[in-house]
Amino acid sequence: MYPFGKGAARLMPYLLLSIPVLLYLLLGFGPSMVTVLFSFTDASGVPGQSWNFVGFENYTTFFTSSDSGDRIASIGRSLYFAVAVVVIQNAVGLFMAILINKKLKGDVFYRAVFFLPVVLGVTVSGLIWQLIANPLGGPAQAMMNFFGTSSNFFGDYDIAFELIIFVQIWMYMGYSMTIFLAGLQSIPNDLYEAGYMDGASGWKAFKNITFPMIAPSFTVNMLLSIIGALQTFDIIYVLTGGKFNTTTLAFDVYATAFGSGTADYGLASAVAMIQFLFVFTVSMIALYYLRRREVEM
Amino acid sequence: MSSSKGTKLLSYIIVLLMLSLYLFPLFYLFNVSMKTQSEYLIDPVAIATGLRLENFMDAWEKGNFSQYMWNSILYTGASTLLTLVISVFAAFPLARGYVKFSTFFYVFFLISMYLPNPLIPQFALINSLGLYNTQLGFILLKTTGTGIAFLMFVGYIKSVSRELDEAAAMDGCGYSRYLFTILVPLMKPVLATGIILTAIGAWNDIIGPTIYLSDPAYQPVTKGLFSFYGQYMNNWPLLACGILIVTLPLVILYIFLQRFIVGGAMAGAVKS
Repeated sequence: MYPFGKGAARLMPYLLLSIPVLLYLLLGFGPSMVTVLFSFTDASGVPGQSWNFVGFENYTTFFTSSDSGDRIASIGRSLYFAVAVVVIQNAVGLFMAILINKKLKGDVFYRAVFFLPVVLGVTVSGLIWQLIANPLGGPAQAMMNFFGTSSNFFGDYDIAFELIIFVQIWMYMGYSMTIFLAGLQSIPNDLYEAGYMDGASGWKAFKNITFPMIAPSFTVNMLLSIIGALQTFDIIYVLTGGKFNTTTLAFDVYATAFGSGTADYGLASAVAMIQFLFVFTVSMIALYYLRRREVEM
Repeated sequence: MSSSKGTKLLSYIIVLLMLSLYLFPLFYLFNVSMKTQSEYLIDPVAIATGLRLENFMDAWEKGNFSQYMWNSILYTGASTLLTLVISVFAAFPLARGYVKFSTFFYVFFLISMYLPNPLIPQFALINSLGLYNTQLGFILLKTTGTGIAFLMFVGYIKSVSRELDEAAAMDGCGYSRYLFTILVPLMKPVLATGIILTAIGAWNDIIGPTIYLSDPAYQPVTKGLFSFYGQYMNNWPLLACGILIVTLPLVILYIFLQRFIVGGAMAGAVKS
């Protein structure tokens, strides 16, 4: 029941709620829907130019035009990026969370340090790694020289993308770890004691106690990192600007709409739609399996 | 417990290795910032020969950082404040079910995570409203009541007793007065984390300013730093100073607010 009066007083919550709703409709939800519309038009960023419906032309352009090889490659790269980031980031995050949860001395300090890159942000973190990987004698180069080889790092077609993946994981491992830690700290200690009595220790305790008990934080982490990884492109913008075979779908949306001299809003919207279908499908599949795992326990 | 001395030692070693992966880049950054350009060119990895604080002055002026810092403070402050206020506006009635279709609205806000990328129509809209390259337009864009703060608030308000609403209403307290004088003070812990997480996101945005703010006079410090990088690509001591200038306020703030931030990230993720 609503306790704050009757009649006109009932309108107050609606009045205040309308502000976020309108803002969201105008700047979030609305533009999202217009993206769907734009993807079927030849809208462009050229001022004053009218636009027409073109059906699925943008979509066919995506798959068949002369540079569609690059675009299709960016689908594969998005998937590669997501799988690598999701698996490694969560595996390392969980592993570190378990270590730190063993009541190591200085645990507050470790947590703070691993979370630091999130605070520093993508520009600072990206430039720090540019400095480390400076091909002209940076510490990474010095290490390569020690092994008798060299590399251009972020300017190298063969490894630039893997390095971006590395920096992304470096940036957000602490975030995953923090969420896992929250899950681990909510497990009552007597569960382990009881398990220990029954002969469950080490791997067995992990498999039968820890892993089921952290199912909710596992779900949160998986979903956050899947959606995050498939939509991230600022790290690519900062590290390579999409050069050296490092574009993903998310970067492609940006580059097609705002990159130098293209401003093809129709095509960019179609890419955004393909990205959306991709994100939606992958996260729904993930959600299905993760929820099922939560229920089973 | 079962963890023997050996496994504990191994844990420390692994954590230490991981720590170095996170701290070495920062030490190296500091080391480079203390060098002259010629020292850097001769041997980038060598230890700096002394403190060169004048490098920072140089970078501060060349990079025009005072201007960028002020812009960042304005954008982050304004958009965080607005975001928090309207997140409370949305979170309270939805958490309590004081409006019809509360669940519908909650889910409606929640799906913003999955929706097609709104970037392109958003840009066209801001452009046609004449808000491109304006501070107001950018603040508006960074203001949203559907983000992490909103989700955390909903979770938190649910844990605040409903009887409190009723008691206050009995005493003649109105809806909005209740919101600001009773509920908001109660929400302090979650407000703190909401502020911090929203502010981190706003401060660190690089794509937003790249798309919406072409005039350097309006750009925030992330964009300023990135332009500085483009301009002095080969002068790493100067660049390292620029990076540190941008980094230092955040690191200092982080040291003070660390418990809130990490705790907040935990609460924000697991509660909602």
